[in-house]
Amino acid sequence: MKYLPLVWKNAWRNRRRTLLTISSLAVSLCLLGVMMALYYALFIGGQPTKSQTRRVVVRHKVSLTFPMPLHYREKIAQVPGVEEVMVMQWFGGVYKDSRDQRNFFARMAAEADKLFRIYQDYRISDAEKEAFIRDPAGCVVNRVLAERHGFRVGDRILIKGDIFPFDLDLTVRGIYSSDELDDETLWFNWKYLENMLRNSPRLAAGTFLVLVRSEEEVPAVCRAIDAMFANSEAPTKSEGEFTFGMSFLSFLGNVKVILMSICFAVTFTVLLITANTMAMSVRERVREVGILRTLGFQKTAVVGLILGESALIAIAGGAIGVLLAQGLCFVIRQGPLIVQQTKTLAIEPPVLAALMVVSLLVGVLSSVAPAVSAARQNIVDALRFTD
Amino acid sequence: MTDDVVIQARRLTKEYIRDEFHIVALKDVDLDVRRGEYLALMGPSGSGKSTLLHLIAAMDRPTSGAIRVLGADLAAMPDPEMARWRNRHIGFVFQTFNLIPVLTALENVELPLKLTHLKKGERMEHAVTALKLVGLGDRLHHYPRQLSGGQEQRVAIARAIVTDPDIILCDEPTGNLDARSANEVLELLRQLNRDYGKTIVMVTHDPHAARFASHIRYIDKGELLPEGRKPEDWS
Repeated sequence: MKYLPLVWKNAWRNRRRTLLTISSLAVSLCLLGVMMALYYALFIGGQPTKSQTRRVVVRHKVSLTFPMPLHYREKIAQVPGVEEVMVMQWFGGVYKDSRDQRNFFARMAAEADKLFRIYQDYRISDAEKEAFIRDPAGCVVNRVLAERHGFRVGDRILIKGDIFPFDLDLTVRGIYSSDELDDETLWFNWKYLENMLRNSPRLAAGTFLVLVRSEEEVPAVCRAIDAMFANSEAPTKSEGEFTFGMSFLSFLGNVKVILMSICFAVTFTVLLITANTMAMSVRERVREVGILRTLGFQKTAVVGLILGESALIAIAGGAIGVLLAQGLCFVIRQGPLIVQQTKTLAIEPPVLAALMVVSLLVGVLSSVAPAVSAARQNIVDALRFTD
Repeated sequence: MTDDVVIQARRLTKEYIRDEFHIVALKDVDLDVRRGEYLALMGPSGSGKSTLLHLIAAMDRPTSGAIRVLGADLAAMPDPEMARWRNRHIGFVFQTFNLIPVLTALENVELPLKLTHLKKGERMEHAVTALKLVGLGDRLHHYPRQLSGGQEQRVAIARAIVTDPDIILCDEPTGNLDARSANEVLELLRQLNRDYGKTIVMVTHDPHAARFASHIRYIDKGELLPEGRKPEDWS
């Protein structure tokens, strides 16, 4: 501790360079922090919500874009452990200007009378729920989505069809919120699709949403459903709702490898930046190292002083980087829902610890070589050194 | 080595290889310096004066020969022990002052004390005393850039004496000073020798500075000349 003032003063010897180094470290570690936060949220820390653990999504085994016959619903309902089954269909479509990212949100057709039995975490008034069930052209909207677009009960929402050959003209019958996760979804009445696609082969189920009696029974129910349709015209793939959501990530490629690659590239770059700064900084002070050694400082003490200085700069950069990353996570949380983990994205304690360890390592590794080299120099040569 | 002799060199030789050149900086030097002595080492540039000083300060190792300072065999001493020994027994004053620019006068003087077991308050007390002794009690919190050359050198002397070393080694201490500041520094060194009994070895090529010492020895082409003898071309 008695060397801390010396370390501190040395670190601020060239203020502009130190500030620039801290800034570059902060920006790099901010990026690294967000990548690590994403990785953590997606692959380590992400957990299904309480009610999600009982929900199963059944889709066509080949692809999500392949429909399944509607009569599967009755067969699935017979599977032991199944409490409720609901047909669900992704409508897609365009709301206002599709170039504006804020206009992208999920628009799903669902059986209105079953929606709130399966999504038990949804909160809506009984009056609004009944109005939604009664109105074939009705819809309910998540509170966050409604606030973003200013939707109110009674408003009309027009969605231009793209997958389906018709447009939706919906009336907001209710606004729901969730105890667990605001999914920013617009649910409209399945009867709308039935009416528009009457006698059309396109009237089919995109997915079935199943409520299972208990979390423990989910694997057995999934196996039973898939076994039931294994040799049918449309074999199925059943999985927990959380896992189903995660499978969307695979559309982006090998996200794990992409995130890890970015993390390593950022760390390596930041290591080079700091190493360059420390090499310059130490080179300017070879003579002072000679003075310290003349006064009786051991080689190890000199190395410690230089490492301490570098670590101090790196940790300062890391701390600012963490704050910036928290800010960036906040911005991402406000953006459109892509996967549910982005809605709770934050620098969690394990990520924070990892970032500070990376900062410290960058600080130490970047200055080891110049520190050891300076300390090992002959005292007389060091005192004669002129840059 | 009698108790009175604090520095003893026997057939002390130092050779360097610089690029492809083989340089003999010191050759078979025999030297005895007694406790309380104030020795001026004189000689032309490149004669080996500073090299001898560096060997006495344990800042460098001889190529051959023996050097004992305060009874310690410096040639055989391992590096970490040498650093501790230097801190405890040697005070070094450079021609170019060599203060740490980011530290105040007080912090510069405190620096060698950080290697001791003294507490912060005690370190500060010692450093203030040393600075007062060199007449800089009113410049404690000044940075080197805020001091004149003479004041910087006095801070350097305060740093050299703050650990109360047995031997003070000065390498051209007045080389970068004007006449007035040089005299102040030389008076100060004489005072340290006379009043505090410090053994001083000063390298200089300034005859005026050398006159402040009690003995003068000359070095020429790496060889220490017999007492009383000057280099042939020395004016």
